[in-house]
Order: sequence, then structure tokens, then C-alpha cells
Amino acid sequence: MMILSVRDLRVRAGERLILDGVTLDVRAGEVCAIMGPNGSGKSTLTGVLAGRPGLEVISGTATYLGRDLLAMPAEERARQGLFLAFQYPVEIPGVNNVYLLKASLNALRKHRGEPELDAFEFLNLVRAKIRQMQMDESLLNRGVNEGFSGGEKKRNEILQMSLLEPTLALLDETDSGLDIDALKVVADGVNALRSPDRAIVMVTHYQRLLDYVVPDQVHVLAGGRIVRSGGRELALELERRGYDWLREGTAAA
Amino acid sequence: MNAESVMERIAASHAGQAARMAGGAAWARRRELALARVLGSGLPDRRNENWKYLDHAKIAEREFDPAPRVTLTADRLAPCLLPLAAARRLVLVDGHFEPQLSDADAGTGVVVHDLATLFSTDPAGAMRLLREPGDDSDDRYALLADAFAAGGLVIRVDANAAPAGTLYLLHVSSASLPGTSHARVVIEVGAGARLRLVEHFVALGDAPAFSNLAAEMQIAAGATVEHVRLHQSGGQSAQLETWVIEQQADSSYSQHLFALGGRLLRSNLNLSLAGSRAQCRLAGLFMVDGERQADLYTQIEHHGAATRTIQNFRGIASERGRGAFNGRIIVHPAARGADASQSSRNLLLTPLAEINSRPQLEIHTDDVKCRHGATIGTLDPAQLFYLLARGLDPDTARSLLTFAFCEDVITGVPLPELRRGIEELVVGRLPDRDVIRSFR
Ligand SMILES: Nc1ncnc2c1ncn2[C@@H]1O[C@H](COP(=O)(O)OP(=O)(O)OP(=O)(O)O)[C@@H](O)[C@H]1O
Ligand SMILES: [Mg+2]
Repeated sequence: MMILSVRDLRVRAGERLILDGVTLDVRAGEVCAIMGPNGSGKSTLTGVLAGRPGLEVISGTATYLGRDLLAMPAEERARQGLFLAFQYPVEIPGVNNVYLLKASLNALRKHRGEPELDAFEFLNLVRAKIRQMQMDESLLNRGVNEGFSGGEKKRNEILQMSLLEPTLALLDETDSGLDIDALKVVADGVNALRSPDRAIVMVTHYQRLLDYVVPDQVHVLAGGRIVRSGGRELALELERRGYDWLREGTAAA
Repeated sequence: MNAESVMERIAASHAGQAARMAGGAAWARRRELALARVLGSGLPDRRNENWKYLDHAKIAEREFDPAPRVTLTADRLAPCLLPLAAARRLVLVDGHFEPQLSDADAGTGVVVHDLATLFSTDPAGAMRLLREPGDDSDDRYALLADAFAAGGLVIRVDANAAPAGTLYLLHVSSASLPGTSHARVVIEVGAGARLRLVEHFVALGDAPAFSNLAAEMQIAAGATVEHVRLHQSGGQSAQLETWVIEQQADSSYSQHLFALGGRLLRSNLNLSLAGSRAQCRLAGLFMVDGERQADLYTQIEHHGAATRTIQNFRGIASERGRGAFNGRIIVHPAARGADASQSSRNLLLTPLAEINSRPQLEIHTDDVKCRHGATIGTLDPAQLFYLLARGLDPDTARSLLTFAFCEDVITGVPLPELRRGIEELVVGRLPDRDVIRSFR
């Protein structure tokens, strides 16, 4: 089953054309990795799929579970099971982390026609997840990401993901800035989500994450297009050779 | 309506009431003089820097005659009361003290005088107690209150007294008919005393009433005052207030001001840190929606050495609401080692709303630490998107961020039950309030 299908997507931010014809298919059960040089448009791609404001779709389509994704407001996409783990999770002082988790989970449950969890059920669930993420429970009662270290922010994203159990998870450099133990924890979180009816898109710069979460496909985004696709061996080749040989390839194409 | 006709109406109102005002010949003279000064100089208007954001026409269109006195029952009042445990209540209705609605005992070491009585029994004493307002335009409405001075309260806290519980001063505007009321409040806090005062402003009706409060507080050496001020009047009410506060050495004053009601509020505070090491902490929040306006003006003067100010104000405007913060801090030459910080942060939620913020520091000595900052902005789109990306409703997300914006001002409110009450009032102002409540 196709979960996400992107066709010839062109996106502008401000005056700049950033995505210049991206085509990408993600099927149920798949983990797909997106790599590419800094500034190549990876966050723009995950952002436009999640409904980030300020990005203008010039042409192309994105279909999610058979529906026109780009026509849905951001909150609707989230409720339909799309989850973006942000590259730079924003701090929101004054909005309590655990309340956000609860409101978020209940918004999704309500959408699916399920009853809201009561306070007791919810706390038990969160406590279990937070142990899995090896996070300090005190982070629950802080402002959302407020004063969290870089690694804590990333774990918090994965905590949200594991609680919300999305159909499509877009992880934007969730492995960056993690120490080796945290990387393992995050990878376990991602692997736990893997299932035949979900899909995961991971943006990463590093081969290391892909050792833990083995991708079915690897795509290289450069200059606003997917310039190369392959299996996990492509990631190994990129690790050895860098991106330059691919850039030459685009220029020639 | 031109300025002349406002003055004529004020003069006519005064002529109609003067004969009924207590206090004998001396007070009649003082009121006449005050009236003559008001008529001579006029009320402040937009041309005056300190008054330029106020919608003066909203005051000019009010009825300057008093509304007929109403008799309120405790039942009528009950729904308005804040849930303050162990509070001693003092109630002013349209500027007149109402003993039958008030607690007879205001607490150990606290003496309360009804000004209306004092005018008759001790006019000379009242003369000494009530400050005569100056010529400054910031004092003009206090002068107007002086011209009409008829009722109010004098509250004295003995030296070293620490009355248990909270003194709850409730200002009720009956607002069943249009009309103007003036009130005077004088509070003297003795050396080393501790006072917690909650002032609460409510309006019972929807008539366009105008209330003018002139108040002063003397805080003697080493005394500590916590002062919560909650403006919750609904409907059409207009409130003008002029507070003058003087602090002696080693005294500490904190104020939590919430401007959450009324058609128009202008709040003047003139605070003097007269004695060494006196310190004040002022937190404030205005929320204006609909066509409402709040105009908060503060002037803090550092006279004593090593005096300290921390001022933290927030403003939120939506729809066609208009808010202003105008905060002046003056550090005089003698205030060596003074420390003042001032912050004004404001949130504009809709394009038609308006906020003006003017923090001003005037420093006349080198030996001083001062910081100030002012921002006027909108909700952060990155924060908003984060919440939407987690499935929250846009209204909920906006409300949450709006509440988060003013949360620290609310967190500072001393009593938990009061804090919750104020939190509830703020949340009640937001769209999607039920979801936000589930967040608390
Ligand atoms: N509003 C904007 N106006 C102009 N340029 C923008 C805007 N937003 C993003 N860009 C540019 O678009 C390019 C792609 O940004 P994007 O964040 O998608 O890159 P990325 O592939 O995620 O990079 P990284 O690996 O560093 O995270 C960058 O050069 C960025 O500066
Ligand atoms: Mg990026």
C-alpha cells in the first residue's frame, strides 16, 4: 500500500525556489532515508509535507493515504497520522510539556473516534514511554522544550512520536546532536514503531543511524531534486565518497 | 462635544451637590478651590504626552452627575466576590463606604474610618489626612475627586502589626444608571507592619458609569505591602484612578495589577522610593478585546540610596482593543546605587488592535544599574506551527500561546485561590477556553 506519494513537487520560500521537482514514493512497512548536503531542501521537504507556513507550493502533488495532503491544514495532517520530528524543536515556555502530550494524544484519539484517556491511564502510558526513552520524568513538567539540552529535545520528539504512533513519521535529523547512548535509544524508539502498516522517512547526515535502523531505500536530495536512489549500500558509498560525484551527475543530466 | 461643555457640565454637577457635602466651611472652601483649579486648567487631553493614548471622548461623553444612591444587599454582592479565605472585607459602592456590607473588624492592628463620617466629626483631621492634589496634569483627576470629595476610606495599619489574612477592598460600581462617582482612599501602613491588600473592581450593571478614584498609600520604614489590584468591571464602565504611593526606608511594596474589564481604564501610579533601600516590584497585565481600552501609566521616582524597582508589564490586545503602557522611572541624584529594571512585552492578536508601549528611564546619577526593554509582537509562527503539527486546533494553539505569554505575571500572585481566580478570568477571555482549562 502506498502511504506517501510525492510527484514533481516544486516549492518556494521567500524569493527562492528550494524544491525543484521532487518525486518520492513511500510504501507501508518501509523505512526510507533521505540524505543530502546542507541547504539542499531536506527540511523544506519534510516541512511542506507537515504543513509548515511560509512555503509556497508552485506545482506538483503530495498524496497521503490516497488524499491530497497539501490541501489539508497542518493539524488535520497530524490527526490523520502524519508526524514530523523537528530538526530544531521550538521552545514554548508557559505551555506544559505533559499537557501538550495529553492534548495532542486526545486530539488524535478524538479524530479516530476513540474515547479520551483519563488522567490516570494517560500518566501510566506516558511514564512507560518516558522510561523507554530513558528520559528524566522532571522534563514532563517543564515548558515544552524549555531549556532542554539538544539531546533532550530530540528525545522529547521521539517520546511524542511513540505516544502518538503515527502512520507516517518524518524524522528530520533526529540523530544529530545525540550522544552514542541516546542514538541507540532513539533508534530503538524508531524500530519499535516499524510495522507493516506504517512508514518512516528519516532525514540524516550520518551512516551511524542507518546501522541501527536499516532503511529499505536511500534517496539523495541535492539542489532541490532527488538525484540518486538506492538501497542501504548507497548510504555507505556516500559516507566514503561525499556528495560531489552526485552533483557532477546532476550537472551532466 | 467640546471641552467647554464638559467643564460646564462638571461645574453644574458640583453646584447641584455642594450644599449636601459634609465637612463645614473649610471643606466647602477646599472643594470650591479644587473645582476652580480643574475648571481653570481643564482635564488632560491628547496634547499632553502622558495622556496621548487615552480616548478622552469616552470620558467626556459620560454623565457627570452622580447616579442615585442604591441600597445593595449582601445577596446581590455575593456572586461578585473573590473566594478569599479569611479575608476582611471593606466595600465601597459608588465611592461610598457601606458598613453593612463590610466586616466590622478589619483585623488586629487595622483601624478603618469612613471618610463620609470623618468629614462631619473631624473635618480638620480629614483635611490633614487627605493630600491636596498638585497642579500636574497627572494629578488632575485626583483634583477633580478632591472637588467632589464626599466618601471613601481611611485605613491605618499600626506599626509592627501583621493582620492575619487579607484585607479585601471591593469597589462596586452600581451602574444601573449613567453617573459619575468619586472616591478617596487613604492607607497608612505603620513602621514594620505587614499588609496584604486585594483591591477588586466590579460593576453590577451595564450603564455607562464613570468612577474616579484618588488614592494614596504611605508605607513607613521597614513595612511590607502586597497589593493585588483586579479590574473586572464589565460592560460600559469607565474607571480613572490616581494612586500616589510613598515608601520609606527598607520598605517593600509589590503590586499585581490586572486590567481585565471595563470599557475604559486609565490607571495612574506615582510611586516614590523616598527612603534608602526601599524596593518595589510591579507586575501588570492588561487584556483588551472588543472596543475596550486600558491605559496604564506609572511613574516611579528613586530618591533614596540603594532603592530598587522591578517592573514587569504585559499587554494583550485583540479585535479593536487598545492598550497602552507608559512607564517612567526617574533616578534622582541622591539615589546612589539604585537598581531599576523595566520590561514591557505586548501581544497584538489582530490587525485592528493597537498597543503603545513607552518605557522611559531618566537617570540623574552615575552610580545606578538600569535595564529596560519593550516589545510589541504577534504570536510566534514557529511555536504555533509546532502545536498544530501535534494535532491541536488552531484556536486552542493560539489561546495556549496567549496564556503562556502572560503566565509568569499570574504565577506571581500571592494567594493560590486568588491566582486560580485570576487565571480563570484570563482564560475566560480566550477563545477555546474549555480546552485551555483542561490544560491547567
Ligand atoms: N524563507 C526562506 N527564504 C529564502 N531561503 C530560504 C527560506 N527558507 C529556507 N531557505 C533556504 O532554503 C535552503 C534549503 O533549506 P533546508 O532547511 O530545507 O535545507 P536542509 O537540506 O534541511 O539543510 P540542513 O542539512 O542544513 O538541515 C537553504 O539554503 C535555506 O537557506
Ligand atoms: Mg534541515
